[in-house]
Amino acid sequence: MNPVAHTEQVAPIHVPSPAQRLFNVSRLHVANPYPTLVVPWAITAVIFGLNIAIAQMVVSAAGGTSNLDADAFQYNGGITWIVVFMLVVGVQAMSLTFPFALGFGVTRKDFYWGSTLYFVGLSVLYATGLTLLSWLERATDGWGIDMAFFQPWGLMENPLSTVWLLYATSLLGAFFVGAATSAVWVRWRAIGMYVFFSALAIIVVGAGWLITSTNSWAKVGEFFTSTSIEALALWSLPFTGIVALVGYTLIRRATSR
Amino acid sequence: MSTAIEVAGLTKHYGQVTAVDDVSFAIPEGKITGLLGRNGAGKTTLMSLLTAQEFATQGTIRVWGEDPVENAAVLSRMCFIKESQVYPDSFKGSHVLRSAQWFFPRWDVELAQELVDLFGVPTNRPVKKMSRGQRSMLGVVIGFASRADVTFFDEPYAGLDAVARKRFYDVLLEQYSESPRTVVLSTHLIDEASHLLEQVLVVHEGSLVIDANVDDLRGSAATLVGRASDVDLFATGRDVLDRSHIGGIASVTIAGLNDADKALAASAGLEVSTVSLQELIVRRTGANPAEEAA
Amino acid sequence: MDDSRPLFQQIAEQLEAQILDGSLAEESAVPSINALAAFHRINPATALKGVTQLVDAGVLYKRRGVGMFVAPGARERLRAQRSEEFSAEYVRPLVVHARALGLSAAQVHIMIDKEMS
Repeated sequence: MNPVAHTEQVAPIHVPSPAQRLFNVSRLHVANPYPTLVVPWAITAVIFGLNIAIAQMVVSAAGGTSNLDADAFQYNGGITWIVVFMLVVGVQAMSLTFPFALGFGVTRKDFYWGSTLYFVGLSVLYATGLTLLSWLERATDGWGIDMAFFQPWGLMENPLSTVWLLYATSLLGAFFVGAATSAVWVRWRAIGMYVFFSALAIIVVGAGWLITSTNSWAKVGEFFTSTSIEALALWSLPFTGIVALVGYTLIRRATSR
Repeated sequence: MSTAIEVAGLTKHYGQVTAVDDVSFAIPEGKITGLLGRNGAGKTTLMSLLTAQEFATQGTIRVWGEDPVENAAVLSRMCFIKESQVYPDSFKGSHVLRSAQWFFPRWDVELAQELVDLFGVPTNRPVKKMSRGQRSMLGVVIGFASRADVTFFDEPYAGLDAVARKRFYDVLLEQYSESPRTVVLSTHLIDEASHLLEQVLVVHEGSLVIDANVDDLRGSAATLVGRASDVDLFATGRDVLDRSHIGGIASVTIAGLNDADKALAASAGLEVSTVSLQELIVRRTGANPAEEAA
Repeated sequence: MDDSRPLFQQIAEQLEAQILDGSLAEESAVPSINALAAFHRINPATALKGVTQLVDAGVLYKRRGVGMFVAPGARERLRAQRSEEFSAEYVRPLVVHARALGLSAAQVHIMIDKEMS
């Protein structure tokens, strides 16, 4: 028996398709677009501006670029901050947005792959933007003073496609490393962090010891110098994939506590 | 009557702590069910389990006949408003409401705006900087505007004053009357909320101690006073909640009495006074009534 | 509302009282279930139960799609029913007490006349 006399007939709820659900999760991350779509560019602009100003002062103090080494402004690593920033974005996606999404009835599976969509989208967006700026940098002869802000460490000598690939793969790696580390926290809290970082320390020290004891440092160095940047960037993808899958298995059994 | 949620032998351990202990019950479709109990009784854990935010240690949960865990078809028809909800750092009230419509298929934008105005939710303020009451009100807006098939309100008025609570009750009745849906309301303010409920589940230390229709429950417990021998005779074999003696006079509080039982007691020369729902629940959950009333 | 008795009974009793004192005339519309629920801040199912009890007792009747109305003759029937209850609840115990005190029917009549004048 229906307890109420006059009621409107409510249409049954239509459950969104899987693709729609993933898209909804990805846009949940940018419901407030400022922190990840606006702020990073603004900070990049500020860092870039400061570096240009400093470089200009150096140039004028030296009395022109001709009096400086050719590679004076080729080793500015200021732009790498963005990789660290995206690592933090990955961390927050799991530590804050995940419990929030659970509260909206999102499944862990939808959340993780929707977030993956967002990470990939953001990597492509930033890689493309930074590559465009690199192109501008080339077109203006390093902003008129031979500066390589968006493509430091000799990247200027490589095709723009390489610059794009390096950015895209580094950012993608940063997102998933941040997300997976954060997933350890979400799943096991402080104890998980102790175990994780202890294990990481053991692996790093162990690897160092192994390389030293087998006299392999030269080989390691050789690998990095002899392998092309493109190959190194592509080599990071399987590593990122494994980290992404680890993050997924962690989140599948995580709760919002 | 159809059933929305069915639970059998549900248990949840956190390490050594048993938060929910072998609980079985059903939540009927289209009714307002109260989940009552003291703080820490296991109400939030229970609702987190029903909405698949937590994983059960043992037992089964069926929502419309299906396991809710990782079940998008079931979860998108439910809405759980939790007091301790986590929000992304950068989110203002407006971001929360904007994203809510992507996850609740029946989201009502106009109703959300109406309720924001009614409750005075500062949607321009970051959720992090809202007061407890403001966060509660934001949750209440989501709970109603989602128009989900099952809505869970967990202590929805934490930090709200009496006026705002009355407003919540009025909106609940209005929304429920307009489109009946399954509502589970968890609260420790039993006297205030009990009139709105049709069913009650009372949990105490992780166990279910009452599962009843409110009308059947109200007036089903009474305190009987009289000669100790008469009182003891009547009380034998009944569900005694409380007993005290003074001289030859005894007083017992007994649950599960019907009108015939009470008439029988009166004709046996006992003074019968019915116990309020609030008091019955308080006694069932092992608290000192005087202390709880303070 | 009295928290120690079923609310639906109290709803039914309030409606009966309004019919008895004439504020709800025969053939007039009774407030809707939702209006009753909102006014008393109670669950609509509880209000419905109270009203249904009066429908079953023939005090109210339902006009399909319109609502609930006070049945013709309801007031008189309620009055008769209440008189019966009054007799059982008050007059009978009064007689028991009067006998215990050794009062005659005439003496009790005089007392009642005095109180009622």
